[in-house]
Amino acid sequence: MDMLFQFIANGLVSGSFYALSALGLTLIFGLMRVVNFAHGELYMLGGVMGWLTTTVLGLNFFAGLALTILVMGAFGWLADRFLIERVRDQGEEPSILLTIGLSIFLTNTALLLVGTAPLNVEGPLPNKPVFLGPVVLTELRLFAVAACAALILAAHLVIRYTRLGRAMRATFQDAMAARLAGINTARVYASTFALGTILAASAGMLLGSIYSTHVSAGGLVSLKAFVVVILGGMGSFAGAIVGGLILGVAEALWGGYISTGTVDIIGFLIVILTLIFKPYGLFSTQVERA
Amino acid sequence: MKIERNTLLVLGLVALVFPLLVGNQYLLHIGVMVLLYAILATSLNLIVGYVGEFSLGHTAFLGLGAYTAALLSLRLGWPVWATVPVAGVVSAIFGAAIGAITLRLRGPYFVIITLAFAEVLRLIANNWVDFTNGPMGLSGVAQPALLADASPLMAKRFYFYLALALTAVALYMAYRFVYSNNGRAAVTVRENRFVAQSVGIRPFVYAMRAFVLGAFLAGLAGGFYAHYITFVGANVFGFAFMISMIIMVLIGGKGTLIGPLLGALLVTLLTEYLRELQELRLSLFGLIVMAVVLFLPNGLMGFLNHRREPGERDGADRTAPGTQGGTA
Repeated sequence: MDMLFQFIANGLVSGSFYALSALGLTLIFGLMRVVNFAHGELYMLGGVMGWLTTTVLGLNFFAGLALTILVMGAFGWLADRFLIERVRDQGEEPSILLTIGLSIFLTNTALLLVGTAPLNVEGPLPNKPVFLGPVVLTELRLFAVAACAALILAAHLVIRYTRLGRAMRATFQDAMAARLAGINTARVYASTFALGTILAASAGMLLGSIYSTHVSAGGLVSLKAFVVVILGGMGSFAGAIVGGLILGVAEALWGGYISTGTVDIIGFLIVILTLIFKPYGLFSTQVERA
Repeated sequence: MKIERNTLLVLGLVALVFPLLVGNQYLLHIGVMVLLYAILATSLNLIVGYVGEFSLGHTAFLGLGAYTAALLSLRLGWPVWATVPVAGVVSAIFGAAIGAITLRLRGPYFVIITLAFAEVLRLIANNWVDFTNGPMGLSGVAQPALLADASPLMAKRFYFYLALALTAVALYMAYRFVYSNNGRAAVTVRENRFVAQSVGIRPFVYAMRAFVLGAFLAGLAGGFYAHYITFVGANVFGFAFMISMIIMVLIGGKGTLIGPLLGALLVTLLTEYLRELQELRLSLFGLIVMAVVLFLPNGLMGFLNHRREPGERDGADRTAPGTQGGTA
């Protein structure tokens, strides 16, 4: 029983990463109606960038994070302008296929260039244990959770209060009306995709500082982000956060009490059950079932 | 329709004489793999091309078929004549169960839930060590008894004809499905769900039939794979097979019967040809998928049809809106 709190704490830590990576996915889906199957690969690229900047170039963690955000934001922008823009307004299928192709390309190109070795991101804090009552965490983990929360908050503020955020929401509600009101929707879409990419990549870099990362991690991350987004409701901000925490805790408890080998199965069971019983998620308000 | 049928017959004849003209085991092996992938691509095409939903979990049925055949052969000693059809039937039963859940969903939800099913099956195959032998896989699946003292070349020829027979069965069933009321109803649903419903077609029923048939054919292919390779591991549920199948269907052209065959031939040959560039190969595949989506949305068959009968195919008309008048 005394392990229960420890499992829950561990679950909340990994859950906050799930939430951050799922947020990018849900943002891209909610605003652009694009189901990004390359999301896990963007997360992986964030980890690779983190490794490149901190371990290889020897930069400080925060400089590395800033550089990662800059490079991945530019990458997201270009990916939208050169790929996704060409299949915009053609329904869901072409964009699904296109991002599947992109994910295959990114994973295997990264494998070719970086190899399969685990990649370490140098964290900003030592891995010193912190005792909080019955629970033991490390300083680094607490820092990473705080960073996740800060990034989520920042994304929320951008969407809520900036000019770009207002343009995003207007485009989401009615792209034609937004264009008539003088909003450059192509730029809004590209910014949205870049923002989603940044969220995924920073989650990848933060998690890489706790556990090491490797280039083939993308597939599983994509799937977990989808689990979270489906559980929370596609396009829902709060849903992504709550869904992420639920998945994290559920996995930690399953791993602690049942078996560690089959932890990944829990996410898929959640997906299957959610899609059967509450197909539009816990937090979804829209009903678009045909 | 007529052209499709005649092309299929000609291709069948070519395949029939191929092993007699070729005495090279390596070439025969490639031939067998082309046929295996032709069955898989045809079965995926029934879902992608005729239900109009994109399944990323088709390897579930390939894997179920392969494990069924391997277990029946290893544990119960069944001969290949029994294991392969039973593998198809088991896959079809699972297809009915999975389809009953997944076909209620559409678009991205369908993609993800099918992928989730394949992943769950892969995790079970990897972790249920008593039954599936876990990550070690099942090795030494029996070869047919009559190959006991045949030469390796004869064995390859035998497998080629077995694969050809299965491909013929698969294409015959797909052909009968596509050119039946079932197939026409499925196309109507794919093109416009609401019109289909308004003339009394129940989308779920027709989608379900296509899904179960697809699962059955993938199961047959899986059973054959188990006997031919003689080893089955959890990788049969993996994404690598899925990628190959997707590329074949997309390159060839979804929603045509010849397209997936063309895709299977092209991709298998390309894979062999690029063997030197083992690692670069998958990167190239990623680029090919993107290029096909952007520049060749209806695949090679869409391109050829468009060239052959301009204006008659409205599916290909996105590139040439001016010719649309001819259809009306």
